[in-house]
Amino acid sequence: METSRRSIIGILSAGACVGLVGPAFAADTIKIGMTIPMTGPGATTGQLQHQGAKLAVDQINAAGGVLGRQIELVEEDDQTTNPGMVLAFSRLVNRGDLAVILASVRSTQVNAVSEDIKKSGLPVFIGGSDPTLTHMGDPWVFRCRPNDIFSSKVIAEFGANDLKKKKWAVIHGTDAFGASGGKLLIDQLKALGITPVIEQGINNGQADLTPVVLAVRNSGADVLATYIAFENDVALFARQLKQFGVNIPWIGSASVASPISRNLAGPALYGTYVVADFDANSSPEAKKFADEFNTAHKVIPDDQPAWVYDAVMLTVEAIKKTGGTDPMKLRDALHAIKGFKGTEGTYTFDENGDGLRAYNIIQNENGNLKFIRQITPAS
Amino acid sequence: MSMLPQLLFTGIGIGSIYAMVSLGFVLLIRSANVVNFAQGEFSMLGAYLMLILLMSFHVPYFIALVVSVILMGVFGIVFGVITYWPLRTRGQIPVIISTIGAGILLENTVLATYGPSPQVLPGVFNASGVLVGNIFMDSQYLSIICTAFVLLALQYVIFEKTVVGKKIQATSQDRETAGLLGIPVVTLIFGIFFYSAALGGLAGILVAPILFVSVGIASVVALKAFAANIIGGFGSIPGAIIGGLLIGIVETLGAAYISVPYKDAYAFIMLIAVLLVRPQGLFGERVAEKA
Amino acid sequence: MMTAVSMRNRGLLYGGLGILVVIAIALVAPSHGYYLNIMMQAATYAIAVAGIVVVLGYCGQISLCQAAFLGMGAYCVAIGTVDYGLPFFVSLAIGVAVTGIGGTLLGLTTLRLGGHYIGMVTIGFQLIVTMVLTNWLGFTHGPDGISGIPRPSLAGMDLSGGAIYLGLCLLFLGAVTMFTVYLKMSRLGRAMQAVRDNDLAASTCGVNVFRTKVIAFAISAALGGLGGGLFAGAFSYISPDQFTFNDSVVLLTMALLGGVEYAFGALLGTILLVMLPEWLRFLRQAYLAVYGAAVIAIIVFLPRGMWGLLMDRYFKPRPMKAVEVAPLPLLARHGVPSEDVVLNIAKLAKHFGGLKAVDEVDMMVRRGSVHALIGPNGSGKTTILNVITGLYVTTAGKVEFLGKDITALPPHDRARLGMCRTYQNIRVFRGMTVLENVIVGAERGGNDVSGTDATLERALAALDFVGLRDVAHLPVGDLPYGHQRYVEIARALAGSPEILLLDEPGAGLNLTEKGEMAELLKRLQGHGMTIVIIDHDMKLIERVADHITVLNFGRRIADGDPKFALSHPEVIAAYLGEPHRDAA
Repeated sequence: METSRRSIIGILSAGACVGLVGPAFAADTIKIGMTIPMTGPGATTGQLQHQGAKLAVDQINAAGGVLGRQIELVEEDDQTTNPGMVLAFSRLVNRGDLAVILASVRSTQVNAVSEDIKKSGLPVFIGGSDPTLTHMGDPWVFRCRPNDIFSSKVIAEFGANDLKKKKWAVIHGTDAFGASGGKLLIDQLKALGITPVIEQGINNGQADLTPVVLAVRNSGADVLATYIAFENDVALFARQLKQFGVNIPWIGSASVASPISRNLAGPALYGTYVVADFDANSSPEAKKFADEFNTAHKVIPDDQPAWVYDAVMLTVEAIKKTGGTDPMKLRDALHAIKGFKGTEGTYTFDENGDGLRAYNIIQNENGNLKFIRQITPAS
Repeated sequence: MSMLPQLLFTGIGIGSIYAMVSLGFVLLIRSANVVNFAQGEFSMLGAYLMLILLMSFHVPYFIALVVSVILMGVFGIVFGVITYWPLRTRGQIPVIISTIGAGILLENTVLATYGPSPQVLPGVFNASGVLVGNIFMDSQYLSIICTAFVLLALQYVIFEKTVVGKKIQATSQDRETAGLLGIPVVTLIFGIFFYSAALGGLAGILVAPILFVSVGIASVVALKAFAANIIGGFGSIPGAIIGGLLIGIVETLGAAYISVPYKDAYAFIMLIAVLLVRPQGLFGERVAEKA
Repeated sequence: MMTAVSMRNRGLLYGGLGILVVIAIALVAPSHGYYLNIMMQAATYAIAVAGIVVVLGYCGQISLCQAAFLGMGAYCVAIGTVDYGLPFFVSLAIGVAVTGIGGTLLGLTTLRLGGHYIGMVTIGFQLIVTMVLTNWLGFTHGPDGISGIPRPSLAGMDLSGGAIYLGLCLLFLGAVTMFTVYLKMSRLGRAMQAVRDNDLAASTCGVNVFRTKVIAFAISAALGGLGGGLFAGAFSYISPDQFTFNDSVVLLTMALLGGVEYAFGALLGTILLVMLPEWLRFLRQAYLAVYGAAVIAIIVFLPRGMWGLLMDRYFKPRPMKAVEVAPLPLLARHGVPSEDVVLNIAKLAKHFGGLKAVDEVDMMVRRGSVHALIGPNGSGKTTILNVITGLYVTTAGKVEFLGKDITALPPHDRARLGMCRTYQNIRVFRGMTVLENVIVGAERGGNDVSGTDATLERALAALDFVGLRDVAHLPVGDLPYGHQRYVEIARALAGSPEILLLDEPGAGLNLTEKGEMAELLKRLQGHGMTIVIIDHDMKLIERVADHITVLNFGRRIADGDPKFALSHPEVIAAYLGEPHRDAA
């Protein structure tokens, strides 16, 4: 059965108009736990995630809640650290009154609590894109973003097939995200019979990347692919590439298109391609969410609020299907979801708990993002 | 085509940044025997002040530069009053710890106020740089290199050739005796706090167009500047400059020819090597004996 | 000695109580979840923080890489159990060994240098460790970290349950805390504190300063490794970003907050700082800023941490029970005055750059004599003493002590041979009590007594000799200036020196005190103690000296019995500041 989010809201708001809202407050709320970084370097993304979840919850509640019950968010600060995540997660689990938990977008944090997730007996939504997170045989994990197997596949296919490039430079961060992304991309390229002419890891927060830029230039590469997490690194790299006249096409991971990178690097990022899991122009659902989010918070949303928004909506969908909040039933209902249209894409959870696989190719056109097309790689 | 000349230029540019921040360290060590672990935060604050003046108050560039540097100096005095003055009689380690605390405080106050997103600060020149032969010279690096060398010269002359310099040195060696000799020790020390913070702020303003304005600036520059100081010789002015340049060049060449991910390690490997072979540093005097 | 014995009994009592508490906590602890996690975090961190107590609190050496050792220990356990299939406890032992050796090596390279160097090098080490953990993919699994770290079983007993494992961590913590408490009261611990309070004086008391620092560093590192190993088992997942410089600062702050000189302070500080994020949640983003401000406030207002505050308020030092001890065996040891040369310096020179502070000085000190070294300010008296005791490296010439050439020996080896001294600007160990100060002297290597009880008795005897027995329990800083001089002398005497070198013992004393000092010196002379004394007070010198050497501008200008030396025309000229025409 295919139910779009809009039709849920439509039905629910119809119910609200008839006046079913009042008594709903009396009933127990349905509690959704959420670990977010309120402190530490992740605090900005934490705020976006919280806003995304809040938007979904507000919309549901305004429409009368689900099964006549209101939804309530229970937040815990993960301090942007692994021990902080462990504590935050265990605090949530300890409450014993949650329906589901929305966990971190940072892969190492998810790793840190992977054993706890298994033991928690609650469906846990994650945003970390490291493929292994959903490959540990844990039926409770649900990922609301396409993992990096797909992003690397999309980068490789787009570069090799659409741009028809054979001499690749692969530059990636040395953090968990960059290192794993770089490795996956090299595997994907190998599958297409391509060995990169240069592969290089770089640390975050460098003052200078001249040696790397010169190495790319001297390698004779005709296309550049990057997995770099932090915007200042992206911007510094972009600027120095331009300074040294390296103008080959560049396909990067999501941060290359982020507003911060574009602001920092300016023209140095014009023309770059980006694979992004969320793009406002990729679907009507994404467009609607982007508009609503922008109205509420005066920010054009990226994937951070989007995946959490979807996670809340998926939870509501599962609750409606099972008619309750029994975790085991919710888990099975989530696994049974097929073709649910969310803001990040169309969800069909596979046996690992991966719900999405499509990535959008977008291009920086003089500072504005242009949607090129969506690629859904074969598995 | 050889990359070497280009790498050397970049190395000297980066090294000049370390050298400039290092100069601020040197003075505090020499005058007040304060090892300031929050020196990098001075640079970060300077960059934010400049950003605020330019973007929020639309102050012209050079006026904003002067105002931020002076404000940083005043801040340096406040910093000294809080982190150094109450602990002045308790030896070096309590002051080290309080400056570490101050660093955490400053970094997170800025983080809480302005968020972690880096921001753009315009440079002195509009042009991005010039091509000389095969070498691309980034305009910001050029201005840093020039400023660093002018300051080096000035500071060297002041320290080694003037009465004020002699007084500062006397104060560093023996505060009590210096006081007895009629040297205004307290004024002098807070004067140095002013200058040291102003210098750190200036370094931040010059570096920010390259590194962007973010709390991360502090840690990028400070630790290596500190290492530069030890490699060059603790408390030695020429040592700070040479140490800074050396680190800049070695890590740039090391990244190009050995390994990029270990780039940040080279400074500390050099540091440990220097300590093993020549503990007083390249330009340092032998550690003073006291009894 | 009864004090030592009662201390030991009290320790056992506390130890037993501790074990009971551990068992009680393990019984009521939840088997999983938040409280278990937070307790395991506190317990494992506290072990690493105890390491900071040893290195910074006891030995005064700043270490900013405790998280690196924590990480090394954790990775040894993780890699050992997950990749090599080693048993947990074997991996843990490897982790402790690796960090202990790592700490030793790091200490060997840097601890000869001053505080700021160590601060810097340890930061460098911390960054390098983080980089290696992140980038050595083949061995450390890189930034992804290592998951699925098992918990141990021992002798067929499964220790992997949450509460049981917490009990195990607490047992280790209890043992470490007890160890840290006892260390402070041990000879090594006192040596560390002496190094912390005054490394020069420590070295001339026979403490091998460098070795003591390295040992402190190694212990600290090994405790970091132990805490880390247990941490890995507790959380079953580790990654490089858990062991960064920031974490080192957090561990340091835990120690400072609780009280860096106290094992229990470390415990208190760790618990507080693990809980603090919970209590300060309302601050959100400002939390870390408040944290930074707290570090400054602690160091300014609570120099000895929360535990120090408690101690000051509730544990006033109590006077010791009166115990009779045998008097100092001075004469018995040294025999009668004779013509034997105890100390002989020949053609001794010490130059600082171009400045010839001491040049071509000869001096011979005979057994049982009081040998005075006098001269105007800046004539090189203290410099000679510093050269004799090894604080300065000789530029030229030779120093012989008891017939042995000691020119190349370090200060602590000279002290070992029986050379004890005092200082012009008093150098007592300010963080310790009067008695502890003197015990450090009694524990001089090469002393004729050893062992806890015997050295304690010797120290009490030395305090009896200078008349400071009633204040033995007080912190030395609480004593008036004049009494601190006597503490220094008692510290030297407790070491039963072959020679006692006194640098201006009368400086800063009032007239009465000077009289008492002269009395004390006379008594020592009566006991046959060989003494070298520097002083400006000619009355004092005339009263006690058997032999006088006069210095001016670093050169010897007269030498002989007091009458001869003091009537020498060059001496008179030097003291009156007149050009000595007639001496040419």
